[in-house]
Order: sequence, then C-alpha cells, then structure tokens
Amino acid sequence: MIQLSNISKSYRTDTIETLALQHLNLTVPAGEFLSIMGPSGCGKSTLLNIMGLIDEPSEGQVVLAGQEVTHYNGRRMARFRNEQLGFIFQSFHLINDLSVVDNVELPLLYRKVGSKERKRRSLDALEHVGLSNRAYHFPNQLSGGQKQRVAIARAIVGRPNILLADEPTGNLDSHMGDEIMQILLRLNQDLGTTIVMVTHDERMARKTHRLVRLSDGERVS
Amino acid sequence: MLSHLLKLMWNKRRANVLIFVEILLAFVVLFGVYTFTIYNYDRYRSPLGFSYEHSLGVRVDLDDQLDSAAVVEAHRRIRTELLELPDVAAVTWIGPVNPFGGGTWRTSNDEYGFLITTLMMFADEHFAETAELDFREGGWYTEADQHAKYPPIVVNGAFKDEYFPQAETLVDTLLPINGLHRVVGVVDAFKYQSNFAENQPLTFFSHADQDRGGEPFEMLIVRTHPGRTAAVQEPLYRRLVDLTKNTDVVIWSMAEDRIKANRPVVIPLIIMLVISGFLLINIALGLFGVLFTQISHRRAEIGLRKALGATPGEVTAQFVGEVLVVTAAGLLLGTFFAVQLPLLELLPIPAKYFYLGIMASVLTILLIVTACAFLPSRQAAGLHPAHVLHEE
Repeated sequence: MIQLSNISKSYRTDTIETLALQHLNLTVPAGEFLSIMGPSGCGKSTLLNIMGLIDEPSEGQVVLAGQEVTHYNGRRMARFRNEQLGFIFQSFHLINDLSVVDNVELPLLYRKVGSKERKRRSLDALEHVGLSNRAYHFPNQLSGGQKQRVAIARAIVGRPNILLADEPTGNLDSHMGDEIMQILLRLNQDLGTTIVMVTHDERMARKTHRLVRLSDGERVS
Repeated sequence: MLSHLLKLMWNKRRANVLIFVEILLAFVVLFGVYTFTIYNYDRYRSPLGFSYEHSLGVRVDLDDQLDSAAVVEAHRRIRTELLELPDVAAVTWIGPVNPFGGGTWRTSNDEYGFLITTLMMFADEHFAETAELDFREGGWYTEADQHAKYPPIVVNGAFKDEYFPQAETLVDTLLPINGLHRVVGVVDAFKYQSNFAENQPLTFFSHADQDRGGEPFEMLIVRTHPGRTAAVQEPLYRRLVDLTKNTDVVIWSMAEDRIKANRPVVIPLIIMLVISGFLLINIALGLFGVLFTQISHRRAEIGLRKALGATPGEVTAQFVGEVLVVTAAGLLLGTFFAVQLPLLELLPIPAKYFYLGIMASVLTILLIVTACAFLPSRQAAGLHPAHVLHEE
C-alpha cells in the first residue's frame, strides 16, 4: 500500500543544511497498522508528511496505492490526498467556527459531494466514533478526547485507504488515549484501513502490528 | 461550497460585523454619489439646443423716454449697424431672460381644463438664426406673424412631449398661455439655464408680447464668426456706445457664462467624487489589512484544508468567497434601503437613476472587494501545509 524507496529529506538555510531523513526505505502492506517511534527531531513527522503528500522528499520515490506519486503536480496531489488519505493530528486541527458535523464533512466538500450526501456520510462517520450526539456542537464545547474522535471521523468520512496519525493520543490523558486507540484498532480490523501512526507512547505502539524506530533520520529497526 | 461558505460566515458573523458595516456605509455613499452623477451626466448629455460657443451677450441701456415705435426703430438701427461689423455673423434682441443668466420666468394656465406650466423666453424674429436652432416642426415667427390676430409662440420639444404627446403637430394650434397664442414652430430642444438643467417645457414669446406692458428688450445676443469672439468685443462696445449715446454697455462671453452656470453642479460633483475615491481607497486598504490579519490567524486552517485535498485554486476561492459573502450581505441590506427611494418617490428624480446608481455601486464594490481579496487569498493558497500544521 505504501512503498518508500531511498527517501531523503534535507532542509537548507543560507548556512546550514539539516538532514531530516537519510536514505530511508519502508514498505507498509495494505491493512497493516504500523507505528513509528523515535526521539523528538528524528524525522517521524517528516516521514509521515512525505507519506501524506504534504511534504516532498529531496530524494527518493513514493508509491502509494500502487501509484508513483513523487512527481505529481499540486492539483493532482491534492486530489490524491483527498481520495486516498486521511489525516489525524496531535492538536486535532478542528475549525472552531464550524459545527462538528461541518468539520467532519470537509474532505467531501473538496470531492464535490452534494450537501445531503455529505451530511449523511458525516453523521455515519460520527456514529462510527460514538459521537453522533455531539454532531451540532462546536469544537470548543468538546473535551480533548471528543475533539480527537471528531478528527478521526473527519479522517475516515471519505473512506480513505490509508490513515496517517501524527501522535493522535499525544494531547490526551491515558484513559482518553486508550479510547482513541481502540477506535483506530477497530477501523483497522473492521474496515481494513492501512494505518501509520507516529507516537511517543511505547504502550500504544505495542498495540499495533509493527513498530519502526527512527533515529537521526535513519531507520534503526 | 456555497452552503459551506454561508454557514461558515454566519458562524463568524460577529468577527465580520465591521466589514459588513464598512461595506454597507460605502454602498450608501456610493449609491448617493453615483445616482447624483448619473442623473446629472444624463442631463449634461441632453442637448442645450442652441449655439453659444461664438456668441456674446450684450446689455445696453436704451433711453427711458423712447415710445414703442422709437424702441422698434432703435432696435432695428442698432441691429443693422452691428451686422456691418466685419466679425459679426448674426444679432438678435432678447427679453429679460438670457441663456446661462440664472433668471427664469414661468407661467401657468388651466383655462381649458388642464394645467400648462411653462418657462418663458422673449426674443425677436432673428433669434432662431442667431442661436442656430433646429426645428422639429414649423419655424420661427416672422415680422408678419407678430401682426396677426393671435400673437405667435414657439415651444420646445419638452413642451410638446409633456402636454401634447399624441398630437401629430402643434403648428397653428391656439394655446391659452397668457392669452391665446398661435404655435408657429416646435424647436427640437431648448434648455437655457445650464447643461445640467432639466429639459422643461418652454415657450418663446415674440417682441410684440413683450412690448405689451413690459420693458423694451435691452439685451442682445451677438454671434461672431468662429474664433473672433474676443476680437469683436472692443469695436462692438465702441459702436454700441456711439449708437446708444450711453457708456452703460456690458458685454460677456456666453461660453464663459455657461461654465459659470454649470459650477453649482460641477463643484459638488467633483467634491463628492474625490471623497468617494478616498473612501474606496480606504475600504481597499482596510480589506487588505483585515484579510492579511485573518490569514495570519488561520494558517493552520489553511494547512488543514490543503491536507484534506483543497487545491490552491479552492483555497483562493474560499477566501475570496468569504469576503464576497459578507460583501453581498452588506450590499443586499444597502439595496433594500436604496430601493425605497424610487419606490416611495421620496426625491424628484426618475426611478431609473436610482436603479442605475444601485447597479453601479454594487459593481464597483464587488470589483474592489474581489481585487483586494485576491492577493491575500493567493498568498494563503501558497502556504505549505506541512509548515503551517507544524506551527500549531
């Protein structure tokens, strides 16, 4: 499902070049739940961003869902992200001026789905994460765990093949973190969604199928 | 996308109330300025109906002791002598109302069951030739017409259109205006106060009417050959002093008088347009500032939208659309108030000018708002999602 070959990423300023990733190879088969761990600054989020096509590698090749996407133009990448990928962020990134259901339907908006269908599918996604009773609340009326469940609903509403989660439990207490983890595991088992999760939490990582460790931009296990 | 925008902007209504009020006030001011400008421009475009470019106005002081026969003779002699000046092309005697002079005479009559109100001008039989009038029907009165049973009059097109729109011709019609008069001609157009004056019904009365109890004509219009208006003034003055034995002779340029007559409209118009220009610049700068600030506060949202599949074009459209939604709300409310003016007939201006004013204001504001929103929106579209999402 995901195939990264010889991926390097460097950031340049006038005087310094920082290597975030160095010649990294990684394959994630369809249906796998993979976690990525490593110390801060080791390149975990950069790797996830490259998989999610919101950052470009300096070198290497990215193949997602059988398509070589490295050289897609901006518009084509946007379409690919919209149809194939779902994102979950540590800080939720909900739009406070939109209700829960309106936040969830955002990916469908860019897929030109009609408003009735958007709403139906958004309510289904909220049902899936157990939050349909909060559909018309606003994000600032929700707890951290509820916000993350909204973010998961938003990530799955477009039925993507790949879900990319960047420290989804990082801002939550352990109880809420467990709840979120259960939802992700269920999505992986029930829908067969491929999930790549960056985490600092060894306990959460152990619940996934496989763990990859990074250090200084290199894969160490 | 539209329903999403409407929902989003409704939820952000408190944050956008200042832009809304700014747009509403801008609309109200622009609507007033545009309506006034279009209305006056339309009046300006409607022809005066006479030539003034190479004409001079002249006022003389005839001897008060002259009887009417002597006045007629004095008029004839002065006109003949002036025509002998090499640069003079035509000369006519007129009554107390002169073009661009600022004075108006008006008369009303409802003797025959309907009210006729008309401006009045008095002129001799050479006026049409001197002022180079165009006729819709008939012609100017002659010396012989003045001795007929019914004194002659000439009316303008506005008179016919206002009171006799169905009549095939008015020539030879007897009209009860200050007594029965026979219409001998209808001039195409004639408005004499200024370019911005309304084209109102007007009637020309002949020499004979004015002589009946009125003062003798003491004003002349002298049309010169093109480019000779300035050169003729001194010989004209000397000849008139000789003929009237009186130095009380005043000569003025009708072209300059026209400019003076237009000033009461032109000056406020320029002031209003300048103020509106500053207002629009202010709105543009305000919008720029607000949008740049909004975008800097919404970087994460922009990154999120791009991560979820929004193309740069869709991000641009989102921000331009948001501003247009607020603008449209301000314009709708403004239009609601503006249409009350023609609907309730609160001002004596035809309704079409209000509607044109509304359309012009709406288009101007939409154009400025779109142009101002485009640059910050493009900047938003160029944000890199990985960077802005990481900033959070």
